[in-house]
Amino acid sequence: MNNSEGMFVPMRKWRAALLLLFLCSQTFFLTGCWNRIEINDLAIITAAGFDLTQDEKVEITVNLFLTHTQGNVDMMGGSSGPGGSTPQSLVQSASGINLADALSKLQQILSRNIFWGQNEVFIFGETLARRELIEPMDFLTRHPAPRERANVFVSKGSAKEVLKLQPPVERNLAEVLRELAKTQTGLNITVKELAQMMAGKASAAVIPLVEIKKQEKIKIPIIKGTAIVKNGRMIGRMDDVATRGVLWLRNEIKKATVTVTPEDKEGYVSFELLKSHTELTPHIEGNEWSITAKIDTLDDIVENTTSINLLDTEQTKRLEEKLADDLVNRVNLALTRAQKEMKADIFNFADVFYRKYPKEWNQVKDRWDEIYPQVKVKVEAHPNITRPGLTGKNFLKRN
Amino acid sequence: MVDRRKGWHRLTRSNRQKSSNANPANMPSFDQTPLAKSLAENLQMLQSLYADCADVVFHDFLIGEQTKAVLIYTDGLTNVEEVDQHVLAPLQQSLELQHTIPNIRNMISVLSIKLMRTIGDAVTEISNGNPVLLVDQESQGLSFGLSKWQKRSIEEPTAESVVRGPREGFIETLATNTSLLRQKIKGPHLKIKSMRIGRYSNTPVAVAYMDGIADPALIEEVMNRLQRIQIDGVLSDAAIEELIEDNPFSPFPQLLSTERPDVACGYLLEGHVVILVDGTPSALIAPVTFFSLLQSPDDYTDRYFIGTATRWLRYLFLFVSLLGPSLYVAVVSFHQEMLPTTLLLTLARSREQVPFPALVEALLMETMFEALREAGARLPKQIGSAVSIVGALVIGQAAISAGIASAPMVMVVAITGIASFMAPRFTAGIAVRLLRFPMMFLASFLGLLGVILGVTVILTHLLTLRSFGVPYMEPLAPLQVRGLKDVLIRAPRWALRTRPHLTGEWNKYREAPGQRPSPEKGDEGE
Repeated sequence: MNNSEGMFVPMRKWRAALLLLFLCSQTFFLTGCWNRIEINDLAIITAAGFDLTQDEKVEITVNLFLTHTQGNVDMMGGSSGPGGSTPQSLVQSASGINLADALSKLQQILSRNIFWGQNEVFIFGETLARRELIEPMDFLTRHPAPRERANVFVSKGSAKEVLKLQPPVERNLAEVLRELAKTQTGLNITVKELAQMMAGKASAAVIPLVEIKKQEKIKIPIIKGTAIVKNGRMIGRMDDVATRGVLWLRNEIKKATVTVTPEDKEGYVSFELLKSHTELTPHIEGNEWSITAKIDTLDDIVENTTSINLLDTEQTKRLEEKLADDLVNRVNLALTRAQKEMKADIFNFADVFYRKYPKEWNQVKDRWDEIYPQVKVKVEAHPNITRPGLTGKNFLKRN
Repeated sequence: MVDRRKGWHRLTRSNRQKSSNANPANMPSFDQTPLAKSLAENLQMLQSLYADCADVVFHDFLIGEQTKAVLIYTDGLTNVEEVDQHVLAPLQQSLELQHTIPNIRNMISVLSIKLMRTIGDAVTEISNGNPVLLVDQESQGLSFGLSKWQKRSIEEPTAESVVRGPREGFIETLATNTSLLRQKIKGPHLKIKSMRIGRYSNTPVAVAYMDGIADPALIEEVMNRLQRIQIDGVLSDAAIEELIEDNPFSPFPQLLSTERPDVACGYLLEGHVVILVDGTPSALIAPVTFFSLLQSPDDYTDRYFIGTATRWLRYLFLFVSLLGPSLYVAVVSFHQEMLPTTLLLTLARSREQVPFPALVEALLMETMFEALREAGARLPKQIGSAVSIVGALVIGQAAISAGIASAPMVMVVAITGIASFMAPRFTAGIAVRLLRFPMMFLASFLGLLGVILGVTVILTHLLTLRSFGVPYMEPLAPLQVRGLKDVLIRAPRWALRTRPHLTGEWNKYREAPGQRPSPEKGDEGE
């Protein structure tokens, strides 16, 4: 008997442990994996656009990735490559009183779950942008699913038209727009940056403009110019050339090719930007507010059709001066458009002043709209030609 | 049932009493019976023990045509020609009158002669194949080391092949195995203790260690654990391993089994204890750490850069083999936003035809893979390759084109499979391979959170695990900075000056300082 007692106590313990383990394992099934979604049930959105409809409603248009294209059945063989004749994406839209409402309407017509996780492009139609951006931006920043790092664009015309384009080179439209923005010849603005600019002291923002370009039979999207946003609305556009000036002043320029004509010579000299840095220095003297913009750039010469000998430092000095003039002109063009005409502080002078003169700025922060157009901007460009290229003088040209 | 258990208990009790004596072997009760003066009595005892044992031969003869004697040997285990020539012949032709044991001992030209006092001694000697001589009117017997049995020749170990280094492996014979150790470590510091385990099998077991390097407490612990074992037979070292390990419920091996004498000697010199079991072509090494299961002899024969790189690759693929499918399942069913867009689109496209959830798909393919591996392992080599062709080519490809599994899944499974084969110790690889399945479930229930939970549980288990008192994750946890040079990297030989902590603290240095080869300094000027 003694022996049997010794045997059964651990047995009971074992049973209890096993039961506990079994009960614990049941909790896994209770969860029901509520947020587990198979890829097969996802409607993967690659790009989304927002428009204003005729009856003042918000229309949401999404570019869905089509997972089942023809020719995909046999995956062992060559699967249908991108750019095949079959469309890779599907455009769907729905409208509602605001974005959340429109989105729920959109979900109603889609058999799969709308998945924002891979959406990298948001396009605002110009009409919507001109009415207000605050409502859609609240949705994009508040809703947890859309990505803050997605790129934002404003389309000339409706966003839907842009989303309908079938790009010939890339796999989908979002890819095209993202790569275009990334090349840094134009602006590259994400949802987060836009929200920061709109909520910042200047309450002005810039968004790249997308335009549809027709080349022979193919329609492609291009980034052309900038939409200027002030107080939550788009108030105007800037063309390509002025946009370059904006980039220089915002210290966002990464790639640029500048071509100048020397005064006393025939032909052109082209520079390629290696590195650039723009520094804004604010001054307040009495009532006069001014800013010095100092642009330091390093450039290479990539083409020279003049007879100038580029190995001669005297000559390159003069070229540098010429280049400086060109840069100042570009920047001034952008400044005039933004500061004098649209009165939108897209260069964020407000922050620059606030950082150095917080007291003074606080006194005038309600009147910033009046002061901003009066701010005197002195642009100084200091180009530095580092390399004349592989050849010195143009040796094909006889003079 | 009850009776048998009682009998067993009686046995264990009697053995416990005995284990306090010098001889710990678990012999049945005749063990300590002293040999009687009368030959007939002894013979009767032995013949009743060896009744119905056709292979045990009792050969009676007269020494010098007057004293009765019996020679007992096991047929097939004894070198009969030698017995004839060196035992029988001199005894029968003996001219001496006094046939006492010391006299007989002097007559016989055999090197290994042992004196026996009990029936138990005689039984042991007979079992080992040593012929036993019992003489009338003597309460002692003699045994001669003239055993000779079939054994395999020393071959290259099949499960642990190396590119460079010794090619010999342990075989099934204990004496050969201990001799292989002695061949490599020639000094008297190599100690080999022997014992017998198994109520019926009486399997010889040897415990080897380096005197002055190994911790005496460790040796004692190993001996104690071995002496605790009371089973009927030991047919492989796996039985010993399961009976002496620290945590019997862990999937991770706490003793390392190696087929290579050079590996065993390497561990001996680091202060580990090596357990050799007769009948098993491998040695058990204790204690081990998790990292020693991930080391291969080639790490030390390759250049140390390459050794380090291979080690890192192995660590990386250890994670792959544990987490590969579960990470895939987690990302595909919970965190689709984590993938680069292009990758997700490709995945989505290839998964479009698959009718199952990611978990089912993963389980299906993983189980299939395990089945293939098992089938391949059990089949003869010639057919094994056919299995792999059918498995890999036919099933893998067909599953994709039939739309049962997606191509990325098959790839994940294949990579995981290769990763699990990368563990140099099969037992470590198989532990990780098993843990992959619960991880997959966790991943599909809770996503990456589940994966992290699973990893935490495994890590906690590994951190609490000990092998003969040595923490399993040593030297990483508890951190021993000195030990890291042979774990995180494979430092060059001249930098491996110290032995691993805890197994060699009292004989810390294994190299004299300044072993790094360099030109002699100060010679140029003279």
